[in-house]
Amino acid sequence: MAVERFELLELLAEHVPDDALVMATYIGAVSFEWGCITEEHPRSAHLGQMGDVIGLAVGLALALPHRRVICLDGDGSVLMELGQLIVLGQERPPNLTTVVVDNRCYESIGWSAHGRRPTATAGRADLTALATAAGVPYARTVESMGELNRELTAAFDEGGCRFLDVKTNPGASRVPPRQTDGIEDKYRFVRYVERLEGKPVVLFAQQDRQLQHESSLR
Amino acid sequence: MLEQAAQAAVTGLKEAGIDFVSGLPDGWQRDLHELVEADPAFTYVPVCNEGVGFSVCAGAWLGGRKTALVMENSGLRVASEYIARIGLGTGVPVTMILSYRGDVGETEHWGIPHGIVVEPLLDALRVPYLVVREIERLRPAVKRAHRISEAQLHPAAVLVSGDCVWED
Repeated sequence: MAVERFELLELLAEHVPDDALVMATYIGAVSFEWGCITEEHPRSAHLGQMGDVIGLAVGLALALPHRRVICLDGDGSVLMELGQLIVLGQERPPNLTTVVVDNRCYESIGWSAHGRRPTATAGRADLTALATAAGVPYARTVESMGELNRELTAAFDEGGCRFLDVKTNPGASRVPPRQTDGIEDKYRFVRYVERLEGKPVVLFAQQDRQLQHESSLR
Repeated sequence: MLEQAAQAAVTGLKEAGIDFVSGLPDGWQRDLHELVEADPAFTYVPVCNEGVGFSVCAGAWLGGRKTALVMENSGLRVASEYIARIGLGTGVPVTMILSYRGDVGETEHWGIPHGIVVEPLLDALRVPYLVVREIERLRPAVKRAHRISEAQLHPAAVLVSGDCVWED
């Protein structure tokens, strides 16, 4: 059993609290569809790539322990750097929910007459078992929309460090590619965080600030 | 790293405003990790892979923290994938403190390749760096590396060796 990726993302968007932050992959259909469904809301950082999305999300969640953080990743990315599961299991940020869109293939590279290239989750690798073995306190495999709805409701009602490996059907993006790069996505996200948290992230012009301060004392 | 050097590095981190440190301990910087871990001024996130440590630091910076990654120079090779993706691709500052294994004075054969690779690799990744071989230079070097890291929104590094690690 598996769910449709677009429906998964639509349901996740309904559940994500307004004041939450999302660390998402910017690779492929997950990013394109998430950006479309959420109307490119700046609470989502489309900054993760292969092998770093969970790591980025752990750092963000530890930096802002009072704020709910959602990590949106893909199976190929998680498999590339399993060390991310170790730090997730060691730190266990109670404000972090990780959702893996696990279509068991490398969708974003396209496919040939031989079909899609499978990831290891199409074989014997079990991300839920790996996360559990790494120390993640709550890890589940999700294969239906009903299960997904229950898991997301529990995640956002009860909190806790949760890892959901959601099995999805392969399929090309239903929407066109996003039209921003990592630089623009970063500024969009950090300016939103600055407004949300009421403190600066980017600290440019230190010398000018100092001069301004000194002149105000004269 | 000698105790006095580790203390100087901690002072440099604090004076730079760094409050979030990740890393993987090595023989030279073990004491620095222990000092940071024990100090409530820092959030300390140990990792078992320097690339993950870089990602964690980058995520914390996006949330408003000032970050450092402490590791052996061999870890730069591991982290380089994420320095390229997140640093060069997105522009996120992380101050990196690296043991300069393989520097002149090295006693271990396995440290030699670390020394051969590290500076060309930093150059390839466009990471500015300072090589510090005197303890009194370590505190300001950490602050300066952090300053340019924040100004360019890309990592900067301090390579630690010489009198900071050996008493000849």
